[in-house]
Amino acid sequence: MSIFEYNGSAVVAMVGKNCFAIASDRRLGVNLQTIATDFQRIHKIHPKLYIGLSGLATDVQTLSQKLAFRHKLYVLREERDMRPETFASLVSALLYEKRFGPYLCMPVIAGLGDDNVPFICTMDCLGAKELAKDFVVSGTASESLYGACESMFKADMEPDELFETISQALLASVDRDCLSGWGGHVLLVTPTEVHEKTLKGRMD
Amino acid sequence: MMRIDTSGLDPFAPFTSASGDVYGDVLSVPSFELPRTTDFDGFQKKSVQMVKPAKGTTTLAFIFKDGVIVAADSRASMGGYICMSIVYLFFLHRTMIAGWDETGPGLYYVDSEGGRLKGKRFSVGSGSPYAYGVLDDGYRYNMSVEEAGELGRRAIYHATFRDAASGGVASVYHVGPNGWQKLSGDDVGDLHYKYYPVIAAPVEQEMSEAPSA
Amino acid sequence: MGDSQYSFSLTTFSPSGKLVQIEHALMAVGSGQTSLGIKAANGVVIATEKKLPSILVDETSVQKIQLLTTDIGVVYSGMGPDSRVLVRKSRKQAQQYFRLYRESIPVTQLVRETATVMQEFTQSGGVRPFGVSLLVAGYDDNGPQLFQVDPSGSYFSWKASAMGKNVSNAKTFLEKRYTDDMELDDAVHTAILTLKEGFEGQISSKNIEIGIIGTDRNFRVLTPAEIDDYLAEVE
Repeated sequence: MSIFEYNGSAVVAMVGKNCFAIASDRRLGVNLQTIATDFQRIHKIHPKLYIGLSGLATDVQTLSQKLAFRHKLYVLREERDMRPETFASLVSALLYEKRFGPYLCMPVIAGLGDDNVPFICTMDCLGAKELAKDFVVSGTASESLYGACESMFKADMEPDELFETISQALLASVDRDCLSGWGGHVLLVTPTEVHEKTLKGRMD
Repeated sequence: MMRIDTSGLDPFAPFTSASGDVYGDVLSVPSFELPRTTDFDGFQKKSVQMVKPAKGTTTLAFIFKDGVIVAADSRASMGGYICMSIVYLFFLHRTMIAGWDETGPGLYYVDSEGGRLKGKRFSVGSGSPYAYGVLDDGYRYNMSVEEAGELGRRAIYHATFRDAASGGVASVYHVGPNGWQKLSGDDVGDLHYKYYPVIAAPVEQEMSEAPSA
Repeated sequence: MGDSQYSFSLTTFSPSGKLVQIEHALMAVGSGQTSLGIKAANGVVIATEKKLPSILVDETSVQKIQLLTTDIGVVYSGMGPDSRVLVRKSRKQAQQYFRLYRESIPVTQLVRETATVMQEFTQSGGVRPFGVSLLVAGYDDNGPQLFQVDPSGSYFSWKASAMGKNVSNAKTFLEKRYTDDMELDDAVHTAILTLKEGFEGQISSKNIEIGIIGTDRNFRVLTPAEIDDYLAEVE
C-alpha cells in the first residue's frame, strides 16, 4: 500500500462565479483503522487563500505549519498578503527543495486573487503545478472525485449552487472510497464572505 | 487414494504394514491422504479460498439462551475501492457454523487450516477486533432475543465505524429452535446518528450589549 | 595592531560613537562623479556624469547605469569596482526571488536586500564598507520608485535626489525644479539641466548617461542619439 494511502484523504476545490469552494473529508486513519474523525486538511493562509493537503497526515501538519510561517514572514516583509499564484509558486519551490526526500502530500490551492478572480491549482508531492479553470481533486478518493466533479460541475455557478455541488460531489465520492469520509468540511469563499460548514456524512 | 509417506521424517516411528484393516488408521505408517487431482497447487488454492475469512467485512455470531445471533455488514471492497454498498451476506458465514441440536445452541469456528473451535461467540473479518470489543463487553448468556439482537447490531455498527473496509447495512439474524429469522437490516449511515445524535454545540459565551457606564 | 585579537574588523566604534570607516566611505562617495534621480508621475529617470580619465578611453565601453532586473535600474556615485559587487549580488537576489515566487521582485524588496549587504560589510570581519551610494529606479505594482542606498546600509525613498561631487548644488536645484505632476520627459529635461548646472566643460551624449523607466515597466539606458535629442530640446 502506498504511503499516500496510509491515512486516507479526499480534497477537492471548485471555481464558481467570482467565488470558489474547497472541501475535504475529516478522517484520519492508519490503513483500515479509523483513528479520528475531526482531522483538518484545509488550512487558511489568509482570508482569501486556502490550501488543502491530501496524503500523509504528519507531513500535512508539518507542511501547513511551514507554509503559515513563510506567509507570516512574507506579510511582515512586503506588507501585503500573497497572491494565490505567488503562493502556489512558493509551495512548488518548497516541495521541490525536498526532491529526494519529499513531503508525502499533494496540495490543492484555492484563492481569490486581484479583482476577485478565483484561482485553483494542484500539485504532485514534488511541486509540479497543474492549473485548472473548473475543479481540482486530490487524495485516495481522487478517482471517484474526478467522476463526481466531471458530471456535477457547471461553469459560473453562484455561491449557493457551488456549495451544494461541491458538498454532494465530496459525499458521493467518499462513499466509494474505504479510506476517506467520516464527515466533510467545506469552505465557500466569496469576495465579501467566507462560509465554513461541517458536513454530516456516512460514518463507515 | 494416494498417500504420502512421512515415516522417513520420524526415525522412531514404529513400522507397521499399511494394510487396510480395522486398525489401519491407528497402526499404519504416519501419513496423510492426498487429494485425487492432477493440479495439486490449484486444488489447494481453491480450497483455501473456499474457507478463508472474507477480507474487508465484519461478521459475528454468538449463542445465548434463546439461540444464535448472526450479524454482518454488507461492504465488499477491492483494495480501497467499495464495489458494492449493499450486499446481503449469507447469514451462516463460511467460517462459522451455528445451529441447534438436542443439547441446545451450538457454535463452531472453522479456519482455513482446518482448525475447529467450539465457543460462545466469534467474529471474523477485518472489522472483527472491533466487534469483539463490543461483544465481550455486552455479552450475557441470559439475554432476551431483543437484547441479543441489539448487541449484534451495535457490535457490527462499531466495526463499520472503526474499520474502513466494513460498512453499508448491518443485518442481524436470529437462529432459534424452529429456524432462522431476520431481526433487522439498518443502514449504518443512519445508525450512527441514531446512536450518536448530533447535538448543537452550546454557545460558549453569548455576546451581549455592554452595560452603559 | 596586526597581531591584536581586536584587529578582525576595520569598522570599530570610535570613543565618540562614530564608525569612522563609514564616514570615510561617504567621503569617497562625496568625491565621486555626480549622479541624480527624479521620480515623475509616470516614470523615473536616473542620470550621471561619465567623465573619463583620458580622451583616449573608448567611452562606449563604460556603462555606469546598469539593469538589476528588466524593470529596475541602478546608478552609483563613488568607486566603480565596488558597485559591480553590489550589482552582481543584487541581480542574484532578484533572480532568487523570481525563482521562489515566479514574480519579479518589488523595488522595495530588492533595495532592502542590497542595503542589507551593504550593512553586513560594516559589521563583518575582514571587509570594508562599500565606497558607493546607489540610486535605484524601478516601476512596480506600487508605481514609480526611486531609492538611495548609502554605504552604512541606510536607504530612503526620494522624489528626487542627487549624490557625488555636486550634491548640495544639485539638490538645491532639484528642490526648485521638482513638481509632483512632472511627466517623465520633463524629468529627463530637469535631470539634464541639473547635471549641466555643476558640469565642468561641455555636456554631451558622450559624457553623461541617462536611464529611464516608464509605464511600460521596462528600464532602459538611453542611446547617445536619444541623449542628443534631449540635449537639443533643453538648449
